[in-house]
Amino acid sequence: MTFVEANTGEAVVFWICAILSVAGAIGLITSRKAVHSALWMALTMINLAVLYIANSAPFLGMVQIIVYTGAVMMLFLFVLMVVGVDASDSLIETIKGQRWAAIFLGLTLTVVLVWGIGSALAGVPAVGLEAANREDGGNVQGIAHLIFTDYLIVFEVTSALLITAAMGAMVLAHREHWQPKPTQAELSQARFLGAGHPGNLPGPGTFARHNAVDTPGLLPDGTPAEVSIPGALKARGDVQPVDIEDVHAIEEADSL
Amino acid sequence: MTNGQFGFFGTDPWGIVIVKVLGIFALLVLLTLFTIWWERRVVSRMQNRIGPNRVGPFGLLQSLMDGFKLALKEEIVPKGVHLAVYWIAPIVSATMAFVAFAVIPFGPVVEMFGTYTPLQLTDFPVSVLYVLAIASIGIYGIVLAGWSSGSIYPLLGSLRSSAQMISYEIAMGLSFVAVFLYAGSMSTSEIVTAQQPVWFAVILLPSFLIYVTAMVGETNRAPFDLPEAEGELVGGFHTEYSSMKFALFFLAEYINMVTVSALATTLFLGGWQAPWPLSLWEGANTGYWPILWWLAKVQIFIFIFIWLRGTLPRLRYDQFMKFGWKVLIPVSIAWILIVATARVVRNEMTISTTQILLSGGIVIALLLVASWLLQARADRKADAKEQEFAEAQARPFDAMAGGYPVPPMPGQQAELTTRRATASTTTQEAIDG
Amino acid sequence: MNAVVEAVRAVEETPWVMPTLDYKLLAPILIILGAGVVSVLFEALLPRAARRPAQLVLVFVSLVAALVSIIALQGSRSLSGRGALVVDGPGLIMQGTIVIIAILGAMLMAERGLDPSGDAFAARASALPGSEDERQFTARGYFQTEIWPFFLFAVGGMLLFPVANDLLMMFVALEVMSLPLYLLTGMARRRRLLSQEAALKYFVLGAFSSAFFLYGAALLYGYTGTISFPGIAAAVSSTTGQTGLLLVAVALLGAGLLFKIGAAPFHQWTPDVYQGAPTPLTGFMAAAVKIAAFGALLRLFYVALGGMRWDWAPMLWVVAILTMLIGSVIALTQSDIKRMIAYSSIAQAGFILVGVVAATPAGLAGALFYLIAYAFTTIGIFAIIMMVRDENGEATHLSKWAGLGRRSPFVATIFAVFMLSLAGIPLTSGFIGKFSVFTAAIAADDTWLVIVAVIASLIAAFFYLRVVVLMFFTEATDETAEVAVPSVFTTVALAAGATVTVLLGIYPQPLLDLIINAGVFVR
Repeated sequence: MTFVEANTGEAVVFWICAILSVAGAIGLITSRKAVHSALWMALTMINLAVLYIANSAPFLGMVQIIVYTGAVMMLFLFVLMVVGVDASDSLIETIKGQRWAAIFLGLTLTVVLVWGIGSALAGVPAVGLEAANREDGGNVQGIAHLIFTDYLIVFEVTSALLITAAMGAMVLAHREHWQPKPTQAELSQARFLGAGHPGNLPGPGTFARHNAVDTPGLLPDGTPAEVSIPGALKARGDVQPVDIEDVHAIEEADSL
Repeated sequence: MTNGQFGFFGTDPWGIVIVKVLGIFALLVLLTLFTIWWERRVVSRMQNRIGPNRVGPFGLLQSLMDGFKLALKEEIVPKGVHLAVYWIAPIVSATMAFVAFAVIPFGPVVEMFGTYTPLQLTDFPVSVLYVLAIASIGIYGIVLAGWSSGSIYPLLGSLRSSAQMISYEIAMGLSFVAVFLYAGSMSTSEIVTAQQPVWFAVILLPSFLIYVTAMVGETNRAPFDLPEAEGELVGGFHTEYSSMKFALFFLAEYINMVTVSALATTLFLGGWQAPWPLSLWEGANTGYWPILWWLAKVQIFIFIFIWLRGTLPRLRYDQFMKFGWKVLIPVSIAWILIVATARVVRNEMTISTTQILLSGGIVIALLLVASWLLQARADRKADAKEQEFAEAQARPFDAMAGGYPVPPMPGQQAELTTRRATASTTTQEAIDG
Repeated sequence: MNAVVEAVRAVEETPWVMPTLDYKLLAPILIILGAGVVSVLFEALLPRAARRPAQLVLVFVSLVAALVSIIALQGSRSLSGRGALVVDGPGLIMQGTIVIIAILGAMLMAERGLDPSGDAFAARASALPGSEDERQFTARGYFQTEIWPFFLFAVGGMLLFPVANDLLMMFVALEVMSLPLYLLTGMARRRRLLSQEAALKYFVLGAFSSAFFLYGAALLYGYTGTISFPGIAAAVSSTTGQTGLLLVAVALLGAGLLFKIGAAPFHQWTPDVYQGAPTPLTGFMAAAVKIAAFGALLRLFYVALGGMRWDWAPMLWVVAILTMLIGSVIALTQSDIKRMIAYSSIAQAGFILVGVVAATPAGLAGALFYLIAYAFTTIGIFAIIMMVRDENGEATHLSKWAGLGRRSPFVATIFAVFMLSLAGIPLTSGFIGKFSVFTAAIAADDTWLVIVAVIASLIAAFFYLRVVVLMFFTEATDETAEVAVPSVFTTVALAAGATVTVLLGIYPQPLLDLIINAGVFVR
């Protein structure tokens, strides 16, 4: 490739971003952690966006960042974090020799692509987007012009794709309820009208002599509250008796 | 970038660029310190307190001192963090907050050290998109902070805040569309120029309101500060951060507030242009004066942020998301449709004022009829509910019918629950025993 | 600054010429895609009970309207949509066939008489397989009527695919066609895990092949500087010397399209998807996607790359031979009828490719005839597979088909006719198809390819006839499945498939004339 027409600034941008984006791409496939891969990919995308901007395609560059880095990769990260696909990949091959075959075919493809693209680019001068951008008075206007004239049909048909995608996501992922979901009010009514205990179980109480879980709390009148003991302890018979002397003492104190 | 339209941008000498960069940096740091103090003072006043008043005049240096203290604190790095990402996250967050300010115009072309240059670091045809793009990279800082902390509360907090920021970024982006349509450009300086006679806040009021709502959601501020809902999530994504790294997040949050306020000023309040009574003075829009108007407008928005925080309780998360997706976004899309239709009608057809008024009148009449019908339906529903309530009230009320820990419902019958039964038997046993 | 504003104003004052669209030429596509949008609105606004009747009326009315508008376009040869689409004889024939197949496919999808719990689609695709939710939805008679908008969008994409006249349009059409099919594949009512696995495989591999297509398109654009097919043709014919990039681009584009037609070595998805997808959908997909994808392949290779036939023909030679042999040989070992038909469809794709390689008008005509014949036969086959059932739904294992001829001689006979047609026995449409394709190939000096094709046909005939033998010359056992009585929908679709299969075998001349008169692609 020739950089005869590029000024120093562009060359500097190119070499920084090119190296970073290739590094990101290599990091993407060599990382063991899925989240790291996603981050490397984000790095690649941001650097590509900078390259687009440096090549007089600012709209494409910005949209690349907003859509791919900001939305698509973020969704990836979301899924990776929520689902917790965090473990390293299993390196056991299910098909024997698959890895070597894959590496071989991948290298072959690389060689063919480099040969094909390289041979075609030799001696092709860089034209740039200057002329194309000037035609309609700016990059954004130029894109708008193409989208709404020459590529109008393609643009409109893409909406069918988007509708399908949105509805497909709804159909596959939106869990409907075959009975109405209880509202907060209904849940609360059910809690209070039901037979169970509506609120927190009683604590040790003001007159308590113990706050261990196996000792019943004392109600305001000094009686032990059985509900304050966990069911498991009751079933094991681990309930400590309340020192009845204390209760009597309280009653006496009350009567004075 | 060499683009014929943006003659003044990209041609500054290096010295000027460095001056501008440093100027913006200093301004943002100072504004952050000021905003923290201002917020504490205003909220205190709203709560009948005094607020910081010890360090410096009116306590102005309080946040500076707090900053020092924070920087000198011991840094605690929990075990089990993903170290590299844990380090990168606050840096991404803070850097992006600063970088977004590059395209905000502070004033017109002025003379600076002998060269003519606009009071704006740079501008290009899509600079509003640039702000959105940088904001979306900034979200990475938050998400990564939550994930790399290796703890569940920060993770949930970061998921919440990023989901919130992405959702509200959509409404925010949609609110820009009408502005783009009217300004005919996405560059900040041209949008400011396009607001010469009237501000877009006036002609595009719905867009402005949507933007202001979305901007509060976007910055995770009260009443939309769910990521930091202490009762549910401790401190949100930065729970595990301390010392300087925490300070960076704090800085980023306040700069983001300034950024969205500055963007609101640029897109809707005429940017640096002087407001009406001032604009009568010839020199109001020349030289360095516009920086003052710009600062005043930004401060109005920041005051609104503080006011909201002092006044409103926090929303529930699902209600908040519902509001974003089911109210803000559809309303913005409908509004864009209206604006676009209006533009096409004005550009393509020769249409008289009478016709505009007539069709507008018909539309308003239809809306009124529709709203009346909806209101009637809502009234019927409310009536039914009231009746139900009245019927419930009419039922016999037995104060002893149960009612622990709240009073019994009307019509509730006294019944011996198991709880009561056991309680009474144990009492009996206790007394007998 | 003022200069800037003036520059902007100056541009604004010279407005663009708005594109004028010839709505008559676009009518079939607009009708179907518009109906798709309306159908989405139906889903959003209509009460649940009203959705199915409304959707069915919409689907059939729009399909018939599209067919009428296609017939009205007969004889047109022109570009539309600023050169993005082209309306010509072969394109219209393919569009027409797709619409007719879509009508038959919609009938199969609308069938509710066979499965005791409803149609072939899951009550709620989002309910986990085997969950309480799923049981409740099924028991309460919920139906996923969203299949209809998906179906309409898929048909819209198929109508666009063979008439796309630039790379971008072709790619978008490919996606519009594929995405709904990926979704529908995962929505089978029975054996849902298998169905979901098939959908995932189809989606992942499909996305992979789309990426190949896109990469190839980008390289071809890089080489020729244009994405329109006539432009590419001009650039290709004027090219000299360095063609490395061009070859890589053609190979990648070819890989993307060969995936869709299920040619080896891009065929691996076919058996899983055919088996997992809901059977009516499999029938529709097997028939219509093949037509659409072959249409696109033919247009790309004949129009855009016609000037470099000697470069791509060897590639298609290898692919055709591989496809025919792999399809025929592996089909021999299958024990599941749907998988067997899947491999058979791979082999059939290979036979059609023999016509494509010829790159002559006769080859085009042969391929078109073959496609039409194959489509009707296939949809009939899947109609019968839907009807052959046991208590667990469709009985797809071949052992359950043993002795079916004794039990239900009428249905078994129709199925035997379909099998004979696929095998290429005279007096069926398959014979005429194979004959016209092979003669075209011989005329183009591809004799060796035809010899391989004949050998592959012989191998294929073995497993087709095996099914016939199994049905008629084996005793029925307890295992043998029942043939359920379908509603009018399936009956009509089956009758149409059978009639066309026989009619084209006995009296193919009108269709052959139609295809010959349609001429070749607009270049």
